[in-house]
Amino acid sequence: MDSRNPTESPIVTEQNPEPQADPRADLGHTRPMVSVAGEPAAKPAKRGREIGNIELQGLSAYYGSNRAVRNVSLGFDSAKVTAIIGPSGCGKSTMVRCINRMHEEIAGARSEGKVLLDGLDLYDPRIDIVAVRRSVGMVFQKPNPFPTMSVIDNVTAGLRLTGASRGELDDRAREALVGAGLWDEVKDRLKAPGAGLSGGQQQRLCIARALAVDPEVLLMDEPCSALDPVATLKIEELIGELKERVTIVIVTHNMQQAARVADTTVFMLNGELVEVGPTDEIFTNPNDDRTEQYVTGKFG
Amino acid sequence: MATETRTQYQEQLDQLEASALGGLDLVSEALVRTLEAIQHQDVELAQLVIADDDRIDGRYLEVHQSLITLLATQSPVATDLRLISSLLHVLKSIERMGDQCVNICKVIPLTGNEPPADEEMVGLILSMGKQTRTLISQSKRAFGDRNVEMARDLVRQDDVVDDLNRECFRLALEIGDDADCREWAMTMLLAARAIERIADNAVDIGEQVAFVVTGLFREFEDASHPEQ
Repeated sequence: MDSRNPTESPIVTEQNPEPQADPRADLGHTRPMVSVAGEPAAKPAKRGREIGNIELQGLSAYYGSNRAVRNVSLGFDSAKVTAIIGPSGCGKSTMVRCINRMHEEIAGARSEGKVLLDGLDLYDPRIDIVAVRRSVGMVFQKPNPFPTMSVIDNVTAGLRLTGASRGELDDRAREALVGAGLWDEVKDRLKAPGAGLSGGQQQRLCIARALAVDPEVLLMDEPCSALDPVATLKIEELIGELKERVTIVIVTHNMQQAARVADTTVFMLNGELVEVGPTDEIFTNPNDDRTEQYVTGKFG
Repeated sequence: MATETRTQYQEQLDQLEASALGGLDLVSEALVRTLEAIQHQDVELAQLVIADDDRIDGRYLEVHQSLITLLATQSPVATDLRLISSLLHVLKSIERMGDQCVNICKVIPLTGNEPPADEEMVGLILSMGKQTRTLISQSKRAFGDRNVEMARDLVRQDDVVDDLNRECFRLALEIGDDADCREWAMTMLLAARAIERIADNAVDIGEQVAFVVTGLFREFEDASHPEQ
């Protein structure tokens, strides 16, 4: 890993945010800070809100000796939706799990190369891994609310670790639930168990939970594959709204979903990056024959 | 890993393309009869062409509906999507070509039983028709082979038709003072114009070939900006 002089490392921080009418802007006060340990986070203040920009540089990921992701270099644009498509086992989920350092949690798994969030190397040994996961949220294939927790406790689960006051927690929970398009459906049952919601609601609850800590990037690994068409459409609409405040990377097997929600589409095959392009080009006139074959369903 | 999938869908799409392009054979057939009707002032043959246009319209409706069904059920993308989009255009062109033959056949009875036909003008129209049939078959071949060069060459072939059409116009101007002659010449100008449009439709099909292959739609020649 790169061991640059810490003073050269850009630090994602949010000092003195401008007061704004938008309630979401208030989230900036407790915005998670990814910073190099031991380095004071008092870097030049950035105005307004950061929306993360992710860059992969020569990223490879291994399960033991199996190289699942092969030397991928790729940027995810700030405040855009990027869809990753490709057949099962092509490495798309593994690649995404490298972005918030989930991949290394698996026994025998490791990665090489760099993942930069706004220029800061997330694999720098001095980086706080908890802060990484706060800045880079994740939503999984199957909704996974904490089964014993109420709706509101699910949303604030991550926030409570930050030592926020009860009143602050409630405000942030409401904002997150509004942001996830779930508020109207659950406002009268905030104390009810989260596991009692429908599948689609549970998934939006998980999105609210991820949003509550105000991430810069939201990773979604097939977030709709366990949902019915209506719940799927709700999530897709939500993605369109969320991209104004968070960079979204979505792994999907549903080609039409990628076509509907993504600004940019990435096609992977056998761990390699085959093609990246504007979504409409990938689905109307892809450059690479393998992309053509895959999106038209000639193999998979 | 690259296992073949969606073979049935692929077969359907191939079949629909063949069916749509087969419409060009129907048009070519209608044009041959139309020319014969002009040459021999054959009103009955003209009526047959008019009645037979239902076949071309039927082909249009049938293939159009099947393509819409494929869009709805298969969500085609990339080359498949471009092919379906272009086939919808091609079908429309074919339907228009058939209608132009009908337009010609409708005016044939107006010229009377023994019209004061000008041999040279009839000859020009028959040449236009022959050249247009070349364009029709070339557009079909270019589409089937996805041959952009051959498709572009349609513009050159079409220039021949345009020149013949202008020549017809010149002859009509010089046809003389006889009212019957002038009426006949006017009617023949309508026929020439209709044939010229059929050739233009063949060029339109060529433009669709370029779209299927390259993904870019460009008019080969822009009539409103001819100098470009």
